[in-house]
Amino acid sequence: MYYPEPISKLIDSFTKLPGIGPKTAVRLAFFVLNMKEDDVLDFAKALVNAKRELTHCSTCGHITDQDPCSICSDGTRDESVICVVQDPKDVIAMEKMREFNGRYHVLHGTISPMDGIGPEDINVPPLIDRLKDEKVNELILATNPNVEGEATAMYISRLVKPSGIKISRIASGLPMGGDLEYADEVTLSKAMEGRREL
Amino acid sequence: MHIKDIKLTHYRNYEKLDLTFDHQVNVIIGENAQGKTNLMEAIYVLAFSKSYRTSKDKELINWDENYARIEGTVHKRARQFPLEMQFSAKGKKAKLNHLEQQRLSDYIGALNVVMFAPEDLNLVKGSPQIRRRFIDMEIGQIQPIYIYHLGQYQKIVKQRNHLLKQLQRRKTSDETMLDVLTDQLVEHARVIIAKRFIFLELLREAATGIHEGISQHSETLSIQYSTPLDVLESDSEEKIGKCLHETFKDNREKEIDRGSTLFGPHRDDLLFYVNDRDVQTYGSQGQQRTTALSLKLAEIELIKREVGEYPVLLLDDVLSELDRHRQSHLLDTIQGKVQTFVSTTSVSDIKHQTIEQAALFNVTSGTITKQK
Repeated sequence: MYYPEPISKLIDSFTKLPGIGPKTAVRLAFFVLNMKEDDVLDFAKALVNAKRELTHCSTCGHITDQDPCSICSDGTRDESVICVVQDPKDVIAMEKMREFNGRYHVLHGTISPMDGIGPEDINVPPLIDRLKDEKVNELILATNPNVEGEATAMYISRLVKPSGIKISRIASGLPMGGDLEYADEVTLSKAMEGRREL
Repeated sequence: MHIKDIKLTHYRNYEKLDLTFDHQVNVIIGENAQGKTNLMEAIYVLAFSKSYRTSKDKELINWDENYARIEGTVHKRARQFPLEMQFSAKGKKAKLNHLEQQRLSDYIGALNVVMFAPEDLNLVKGSPQIRRRFIDMEIGQIQPIYIYHLGQYQKIVKQRNHLLKQLQRRKTSDETMLDVLTDQLVEHARVIIAKRFIFLELLREAATGIHEGISQHSETLSIQYSTPLDVLESDSEEKIGKCLHETFKDNREKEIDRGSTLFGPHRDDLLFYVNDRDVQTYGSQGQQRTTALSLKLAEIELIKREVGEYPVLLLDDVLSELDRHRQSHLLDTIQGKVQTFVSTTSVSDIKHQTIEQAALFNVTSGTITKQK
């Protein structure tokens, strides 16, 4: 072993983070050694608190420090529309848009028989319960436009259809501000498929 | 179109190589394991940015070196432009006209190549998989979006098979997901089948005439799409989709019982008939080879139709596999039209005008010399 135990443990911990390889981990660990003790303590506390104090909202599944989360408990938001997304990060992306004033439901994954993930392994059953209780009249399915995301959206729409709730799927096609000539064939054909009358 | 010259650096067993080619026929002569096929492969890689022999680009780099480069000058539509492929531990770079192409799909297609290797003779008698790959590759070269549908389709089949297995073993009883995956599957399957039908019509048009020529009007080739689905080649995409839906509905129990997707383009096949007899089962070896040859020559014609110029033809060790009659028909067909690279161990048993006029290259352990 080239490193004393405390630092090799720190290096080990950094390697567990995504996108950090052995070399970067060594660099980060040695950087920490040169930091002020107060800063290191703050850093450590931030890590622990993020883990301890954040839970998943019991209503929508979004990450939150209070239950229900700030979006679910916000009375000014439209409770008749729910936007279904795959991941908490998708909620943040949607919120940045500042256009959507409804509520969310986070699935935490997609249905994938290949990986042994069925509807009951992701946040689907709570969604169905939620639709029974609340006064929801529109469901927007915003899972990713790939095979699994598409399948998950279709699955939910089949379950919900009989209840008469309006269901929509987000559009896919050309990015705004982009050039038509740079779009790939698949995106272009999707954009043609989803064209609308003016 | 033709390749004017090629330069190899650290490519397989070639340390450095610089060759200028004839715009018609080039014969590469050498004993086994000297580097004939490596040169053929290099031309193939220059066209498709990857090898047909390996999926690992690393293998293309000379054992003692850390990068490999293929450069070539292509003459196409009265213009000349350089192509370059570079492989290193960091990955590969494709340059067209000295400009690096970010998307390989922008690079592929600059040089069109058709390869005919001994294993292509198995096209007729080999497994259905070989024929499906043949048809998929051909359509993909002409329509890139076909590759997308095929990729999505294969992914969905995999998901669906896993689900069917779970249903078979009663690990789940949720058939709604099966409906969803069936819908998704049909969405892509109907496009794939419809595009295959269109392509088949073109292939038929080109191949039957060629086959008649090779067989001196004694044989008539016909090609059929073999599928258990109740569809006609004239059917629209919608109609094919409807038929797929009905088939999956009627066979739900059976599919769950077997735990596998039993219908769709991944189970279909091509059937070849000569004089109304199934060549795969009843044809002689000679008829099977003639059919394979007709299909490959048809491929050249189809690319000519699509691109406006004949592609470059690579005949890797395949000429010696054909009898004299088929040899001369093949050489007659390409004569004066198609730039062709022939690799062979000996040129003495090929008697044909094109070979006599061809540029000859001798290969010995990684060096090539042009015969005067």
